[in-house]
Amino acid sequence: MISKLIATIKKETLLLLRDKVGLSILFLMPMILIFVMTLIQDAAFKTINEKGIPIIFVNNDHDSLGIMIEQGLRNNDLCSFNDSIDGKPATAEQAHKAVAEGRFLVGIVIPKGATDAIRRNVTQLVEETMDTSDSTVVQAGSAADSVEITLMIDPVAKKSFLNSVTSNLHEFISEVKTKIMFQTFSEQIAAVIPGKTETPKSAYQKSQIIRYKEIYASRSEEKIVPNAVQHNVPAWTIFAMFFIAIPLSSSIMKEKNEGSVFRLHTMPTPYLLLINGKIVVYVIVCMIQFLLMLSVGLYFLPMLGLPKLVLGSSYMGIFILTMATAFAATGYGVMVGTLAGTEHQAAILGSLSILLLSALGGIWVPSYVMPEVMRNISTWSPLNWSLSGFYKLFLRGGGMADILADALKLVAFFIATMAIASITNRIKRTY
Amino acid sequence: MINPGYKNYQPLNSSATMAQSTIIEIINLAKTFKHAAEPAVNGINLSIYRNEIFGLLGPNGAGKTTTISILCGLFPPSGGKVLIDSQDLQQHLPSIKKIVGIVPQDIALYPTLTARENLEFYGHMYGLTGKLLKDRIEEWLKKLGLTESANRQVTTYSGGMKRRVNLIAGILHKPKILFLDEPTVGVDVQSRNVIIEHLKKINEEGTTIIYTSHHMEEAEHFCHRVSIIDHGKILTRGTPAELIENTPGADNLEKVFLHLTKRKLRD
Ligand SMILES: Nc1ncnc2c1ncn2[C@@H]1O[C@H](COP(=O)(O)OP(=O)(O)OP(=O)(O)O)[C@@H](O)[C@H]1O
Ligand SMILES: [Mg+2]
Repeated sequence: MISKLIATIKKETLLLLRDKVGLSILFLMPMILIFVMTLIQDAAFKTINEKGIPIIFVNNDHDSLGIMIEQGLRNNDLCSFNDSIDGKPATAEQAHKAVAEGRFLVGIVIPKGATDAIRRNVTQLVEETMDTSDSTVVQAGSAADSVEITLMIDPVAKKSFLNSVTSNLHEFISEVKTKIMFQTFSEQIAAVIPGKTETPKSAYQKSQIIRYKEIYASRSEEKIVPNAVQHNVPAWTIFAMFFIAIPLSSSIMKEKNEGSVFRLHTMPTPYLLLINGKIVVYVIVCMIQFLLMLSVGLYFLPMLGLPKLVLGSSYMGIFILTMATAFAATGYGVMVGTLAGTEHQAAILGSLSILLLSALGGIWVPSYVMPEVMRNISTWSPLNWSLSGFYKLFLRGGGMADILADALKLVAFFIATMAIASITNRIKRTY
Repeated sequence: MINPGYKNYQPLNSSATMAQSTIIEIINLAKTFKHAAEPAVNGINLSIYRNEIFGLLGPNGAGKTTTISILCGLFPPSGGKVLIDSQDLQQHLPSIKKIVGIVPQDIALYPTLTARENLEFYGHMYGLTGKLLKDRIEEWLKKLGLTESANRQVTTYSGGMKRRVNLIAGILHKPKILFLDEPTVGVDVQSRNVIIEHLKKINEEGTTIIYTSHHMEEAEHFCHRVSIIDHGKILTRGTPAELIENTPGADNLEKVFLHLTKRKLRD
């Protein structure tokens, strides 16, 4: 049986090596895709991730609030801080225009006298509190709201992507407001109750201004901000692995049309052995594809001035996930090859379905920027299971345990496709 | 006259006392394909004797390929049964497949593999390995004049060369029973004679051959016995000489054939 399997593997390898179109689909196409897509997307990813979110800041306050917010923004790696346009300090109108033109993703305007307003509110609050007559009901919140900070957002920017950023900005700004209120408040209190000056101030110092939440919480030492390379290399590798469905299904169809299957059915060799031979060869092809794409990410993209691919720490995890993806892709090819009626059908069914599954799976556009509905649909694509597994390994420093569920889903997918193929074969028999 | 090289053969009518050992017993064989209105094979009864060359003749669509396909285990019949060496075919399929060889009507080879690679692969599928397989391949390539071109992809071959490789792929494992579905169609006279000569030799070495053809003259000289079928039914059977003798005004098998199957065109 082993010698039969080896002969089948040899035959399949020779067939593949002589199929120049198939080979270029398998190896050349994904490499080109990685290069092109990464170069195209690099600019977009770069503005957000390398330099940070471009922010235009207009400080008309020139007091504590404006200065503290400016400091907070300047010290954050996730934003690229600007307070001037074309060399001159920006005005609110200019900032508005620049954001509308897409030169900045976010604009922030601190109005004149904002700090004063806060102080006044607090002073008023303290005075009213000290004034023991309970005729006035004071709402602390409404007092602070009189300071209006304008947040402008590029309308073209992906909403879901900016949602977290703006909510963090809101949080941060109100934190600063509170800090100033607290300071003023403690000063006022100190004026009334002497000797108590130090305590509230230092107590406040301990609570740090909240930084922006990172989109990827990396567990490894080195924090990795997602960039075009980290997304595109695994994404297009998975795409390429699934694209083997086309040469694989056409090889199955050809074998039927060229009569080899007829002959093989009369031989003392089960058809499954033949399919197994194919699976072995195409799984190996997938592994080679993976290594090739990986080397593109590690060596070739940096040559073009793009960031280098970061692999994370779990090589075992990478191996298991790649194997699982390879089996899922191969099973898919076998299924397409059995479902299709002709080679032509196999090619169309194969390529269209993979394009669809990859678009849904977040290969073209990462699923985290998709709208909620699509993000939910996305989790049904096997390409998405694989991609989210690679994200866990490459971006979050995850290990075997983190990708096990994804790998198992892919293996289950393989088993399901094989079952469908074998049932289809039985149904399709004309005798 | 017929088959001078064939020594032990006894024509049917003169062998009433001699027990011919039967290798294939076909009993009421029937096959109706899915979605087909008419049965392709409709109650065939035949005994094929050990070591004979049996011709299955009939017009297009008569049911020859269907019968052969059932006999070599490609699909089960929808009625009747087949005994090979007294064993039920369907129940002993795996062991029977090992002793059966088939040369299909349509070329069944990988076009992008060379002749040698094709033969190595099919040889392995029949369980041959190593030197034995290599030797047999070289032996047959030489016999059929393909040694020179054996390392060329089959797609570059002429029709006749493909037929010859197609033939070798079915006989490498020295089957006890060999099914030949139109092995010489589209082959020039030179190749045809070489092929027929070698097939006769294989038969002399102990292989029973079941053969189909539209070439009546070839069948007349090659087969010990023939059966003419049409619409999935047997019209007649016997040695070519017997059939010619029993048909008024016929002096060759072709006339017998036309007499029985009429001149109407088939699909
Ligand atoms: N797979 C199939 N599905 C449905 N019908 C079939 C199938 N194969 C053959 N048939 C039909 O069965 C009948 C017998 O076909 P078969 O191939 O056995 O004829 P044949 O005697 O070999 O003819 P030829 O000399 O043209 O090769 C024909 O009517 C054919 O159309
Ligand atoms: Mg036929």
